[in-house]
Amino acid sequence: MAATAPLARRISISTILLYLVLSLGAIVMLAPLLQMILTSFKTSGEALRVPPKLLPDNPTWNAYHTVLTEAPFGLWFRNSVIVSVSVTALILFTSSLAGYIFAKFKFPGRDLLFTLLLGTLMVPFPVVLIPTYLIVNNLHLLNTLFALIVPSTVSAFGVFLMRQFIAAIPDDLIDAARLDGASEFGIYWQLIRPQLGPAMGALGIFTFLASWNDYLWPLIVINDQDRMTLPLALAFFNSSHATRYDLVMAAAVLIIMPVIAAFLLFQRQFINALVLSGMKG
Amino acid sequence: MSGPTVSNMASGHTPARRRKHAPGHGAQMRFVAIALTPIMLLFFTFAFLPIGMSIFLSFFRYSPLDMNSPFIDVRNYTFAFTKDPAFIASIGNTLKYVVIAAPLNIVLTLPIALALNQIKRFKAFFRAVYFMPAIASLVAVVLIWRYLLDPQAGLINGALALFHIQGHAWLGEPEYALYAMIVLSVWQDMGYNVIVFLAGLQTIPDTFYEAAMVDGANSWQRFRYITLPLLSRTTMFVFVLTTISYMQVFVPMAVMTQGGPLNSTRTIVLHIWNQAFQYLKMGYASALSVILLVMLLGITLIQLRLLRTNWEY
Repeated sequence: MAATAPLARRISISTILLYLVLSLGAIVMLAPLLQMILTSFKTSGEALRVPPKLLPDNPTWNAYHTVLTEAPFGLWFRNSVIVSVSVTALILFTSSLAGYIFAKFKFPGRDLLFTLLLGTLMVPFPVVLIPTYLIVNNLHLLNTLFALIVPSTVSAFGVFLMRQFIAAIPDDLIDAARLDGASEFGIYWQLIRPQLGPAMGALGIFTFLASWNDYLWPLIVINDQDRMTLPLALAFFNSSHATRYDLVMAAAVLIIMPVIAAFLLFQRQFINALVLSGMKG
Repeated sequence: MSGPTVSNMASGHTPARRRKHAPGHGAQMRFVAIALTPIMLLFFTFAFLPIGMSIFLSFFRYSPLDMNSPFIDVRNYTFAFTKDPAFIASIGNTLKYVVIAAPLNIVLTLPIALALNQIKRFKAFFRAVYFMPAIASLVAVVLIWRYLLDPQAGLINGALALFHIQGHAWLGEPEYALYAMIVLSVWQDMGYNVIVFLAGLQTIPDTFYEAAMVDGANSWQRFRYITLPLLSRTTMFVFVLTTISYMQVFVPMAVMTQGGPLNSTRTIVLHIWNQAFQYLKMGYASALSVILLVMLLGITLIQLRLLRTNWEY
């Protein structure tokens, strides 16, 4: 007893220290987000006050009202949803189908093709910005939502991830389905695809986030205000309302909050997705 | 008449026509061809072809505005290194940014992950808090920080004023602007590395620590001789990926400063974008892209080699 009491106290002191440090860090992480939310309820004058004050004197929805009525915010939101949902659905389909084929079929040139695919993972997007722009221009897709969707219909990382996952599914299962007379596509759709839940979830979240938050590519291919996605629209909105911090922060809240809400609902899946996506690069 | 037919059927196929493949092979190859061809065509168009085109274009003076685009061998490359001081500045800024931000990121995220791995209550809460900025749109994050860094109305100068410290126009002064970008970038994507470190820590078996405790190892010794070595692969992986991602930094500069003041926040990707899409010098910008690619491959190889020799257990 005499030996355990000091030990327990030492542990509790170090535990308190841990919580203290973590809490300080948490304040640093939360403060800017909190500041964004508080500012979105201020008037434009309050947002610019010197010295700054944390809390709004009379919280008001005016900034949100202005953003939602004076800017085509609903349209931007719709564009973002169309692009991100299409890209995610297409990449999940092409990655799982190609991943299945690379994992379970032998055909001439398979290993070479797969190595080439892996090789493209070494080349980050900014390096191929210009040719991709020229190709999209040649396909007459510039300044349309298709310009944001079509180049992102396949993902080498997705194929790699799915191939790893599908390789673990026993061949016997597939052979048995063949003996039962299932078609090859039927085997993919009805036998393989339903088993890919965790991998699909991870790739889906990762792809959706990347598409939802993308700025560089939309900046290059979209000019029309009506075809902008949210990050591009937010930067555009900021450039025309640079001193209206109340409006810019309200717009930022509207962009960030759906993603944070989704994250809080599906925390485990988000974290798995980001751990898995670490393999990208 | 029926005899030969029966015997034919009984003996099956003649040796010359014996199948080389299992039954259904034809159907399988058809499936592979039909399903994989469109996917590979997309890969060809948007992955293989662009890489080749980047290299090809880098040898031409190509602009969409010009009718003719002459072959100029390596002159885009020599121009970049001898006659484009803004590009040289962008390399310097990018390297400075990476050399500070990547180690800073790891020095902050590893202890946070270690602390999170120790605690039992509120673990999910803290993990969520540290992770939250990482999923937010970077453009939105940049705009939040632009406000925080505002010389008059910003909270940072406001807080400094409470301690009677004179603030700065952080984004307007060449000696501070890049550091402001480093702070906001690390703040934004720390959570991601915290999660990866945490995943790495969870793969270390508790029995190792229990055995060390029995042997009387203190907490520093347990960290130094168990955690650090067993986490070396994760650390290497985090360091390489963080470096590669920071080498491509673009958004904070594009949204807040456009590379200014005095080119102090001009980065390589910003300069490529600038040359290609504002001045339409696409041949030249392609050469800059190839230089970036070579730098990225070189840095990755060097890092993997250095870290491997240091941390081979």
